[in-house]
Amino acid sequence: MSWQGQILRVNLSKGSCAIEPLNMEWAETYLGQRGLGSKYLLEEMDPAADALSEANKVIVATGPLTGTMASTGGRYSVITKGPLTGAIACSNSGGKFGAELKLAGYDMLIIEGKSDKPVYLHIEDDKAEICDASEVWGKTVWETEDILTKKYRDPLMRFASIGQAGENLCRYACVVNDKHRAAGRSGVGAVMGSKLIKTIAVRGTVGVRNANPKAFFDKVNEVNARMNDRDEMSRDGTLAMIDVTNRFGSLPTNNNRSVSFAGAEKLNPEAMHTPNANGHTNLVTNGACFGCTIGCGRICKIDPTHFSIKDKPQYHGASGGLEYETAYALGSACGVDDIDAATYAGFLCNEYGMDPISLGGTIAAAMELFDIGAIDEKTTGGIKLEFGSAEALCAIAELTGKGEGFGADIAMGSKRLCEKYGHPDLSMTVKGQEFAAYDGRSMQGMGLAYATSNRGACHLRADPYGHDFETTEVAGKAKIVRDSQQDVAFIDSSGLCLFPGGCGWGMDDYRELVASACNGEWTEERMQQTGERIWNLERLFNIRAGLGKKDDTLPKRILEEPADVGVGKGLVCKLDEMLPEYYQLCGWSDEGVPTKDTLTRLGLN
Amino acid sequence: MEVSVKLFGGLRAYLPPGSSFNGCRVSLEENASLSSLLQQLPIPSEKAYIVIINDEKVDAENYEGLQISASDDVVLLPPIKGG
Repeated sequence: MSWQGQILRVNLSKGSCAIEPLNMEWAETYLGQRGLGSKYLLEEMDPAADALSEANKVIVATGPLTGTMASTGGRYSVITKGPLTGAIACSNSGGKFGAELKLAGYDMLIIEGKSDKPVYLHIEDDKAEICDASEVWGKTVWETEDILTKKYRDPLMRFASIGQAGENLCRYACVVNDKHRAAGRSGVGAVMGSKLIKTIAVRGTVGVRNANPKAFFDKVNEVNARMNDRDEMSRDGTLAMIDVTNRFGSLPTNNNRSVSFAGAEKLNPEAMHTPNANGHTNLVTNGACFGCTIGCGRICKIDPTHFSIKDKPQYHGASGGLEYETAYALGSACGVDDIDAATYAGFLCNEYGMDPISLGGTIAAAMELFDIGAIDEKTTGGIKLEFGSAEALCAIAELTGKGEGFGADIAMGSKRLCEKYGHPDLSMTVKGQEFAAYDGRSMQGMGLAYATSNRGACHLRADPYGHDFETTEVAGKAKIVRDSQQDVAFIDSSGLCLFPGGCGWGMDDYRELVASACNGEWTEERMQQTGERIWNLERLFNIRAGLGKKDDTLPKRILEEPADVGVGKGLVCKLDEMLPEYYQLCGWSDEGVPTKDTLTRLGLN
Repeated sequence: MEVSVKLFGGLRAYLPPGSSFNGCRVSLEENASLSSLLQQLPIPSEKAYIVIINDEKVDAENYEGLQISASDDVVLLPPIKGG
């Protein structure tokens, strides 16, 4: 059946852990992970509640294929109300933690209430306990894993932790597992921090049962074979994208002042693979999450003579390196072309538990505020926060991780930062969440995808890439964005990763894997309707949280300042042409509210 | 004439031996078309890519009629996704 059929409810106010049966009717209707976690969240909390209040909940959810032998079947999501956005937050991570949680016998954890002292959760199969966290509170993610691994003498124990950024309620604090994989976006780590829970330590040995093992194994072998000639993702990782967007003209640069970066060739796969003047090569090897046959992760080392780590031996080892999004956020967004500086800032994100996209996007906004004189060295504590300054990037990233000095302002996120200093238009955000690594002027579909994303600006809530690289004409984009939002919602609820979709899998492959692993008929129609139901459920959460059409928009820069170079040169995002058609296709009113007919059809009324 | 061509991402796998990390040079007759240049690259015909010349995207229907010059900056991008 692939679902474990049980959840672990952890009440931090009462200090209790209780195993409950999974609502199988909901599992059949929302599949798992993102969909099922969102259903539980909407049923159990008031979406209008403050994200950092006791009323919020943290749901850590796996999918039916998490922990199975399906390639990439190691995903889990953290679902909560996001303190960065005020919208539903659902942050997805790989690594090995999700599979370990599933193998311990749980489809999801529901963490509620608030502890009166720092604690962590320790799970070994059906034994779960809330433990005093004095020994790890105030420590980094890396220290926390090391201390508790040693304590339990179990190298296979997996952790999902917050660093000091989560403890300090940084609005984009993330939850980091396996030291450098993260449920990164929307501040899910700050919600853990607000509840005083430091980490979830889990060890599982019970396995996962499958509805139709023979059909499942056959399908797994078939789709794996199709990925065998796609070695570019293991060789270059997602970083390969930087050359594509830079040449196409959709690589956000200097806080989206430009869409192409002169220094991109110092951050690209060639730069990562090639020894520098000291003979040091940034890339050590690639890395794979649980069960993954792609291995897109980058394992990198910073040149030990680089200014950022010269006297810091703790950073001389190999760890999670630059992927495309981090290379953009900690590189081109800030105008920084120093691969070691960007790698160091990325290490800090993993260590302190910060979303690198939001950190980089916020530093980029601060650099523009500095550039126009809205802030100065007095504000920044003496840091010359100029575009292109690798030294400033590293110094600010350190301060933000620790919540010190001007870093406390950076920890608010770009929207709150730009509002504080009187220039809200300089925040490149949607619903308060910083842009990912695509500009919505040369990629019009991505502009619509950012504007309508249920969790704020995001490159992983829709799949307009192919059409956007084909044409800047807006005709057809509303349908592509709407259809792919539903597809992505289904994949994110399965326990699998989106990346096989770029390596030869189609939606039917995902569907057949689910169908062979789970009970019942999983037809194409059911798959589409499940994705649509999840998308609308998230929309309902946001409407009840007070969001609506006014929030489905883009910064003035993207709507009014034409792209400076590239394929989209001279274009602004034509959101006003796409949005009404998008609402109509979704079955929503002109105000972006799902109609009664839509809700009835999806069983959401 | 010789034209410099850059292949990025997964297309890099089709660079001829002796190429640089991302690029190669292709020998062509003067005033050769973009089609003839693409035919000289060992990229399988079913492989999709985007052609950018001097920062402008070239649509497939124009490959035959577009003349290449030695100073052109020819870039082939794979239509990848994610990040």
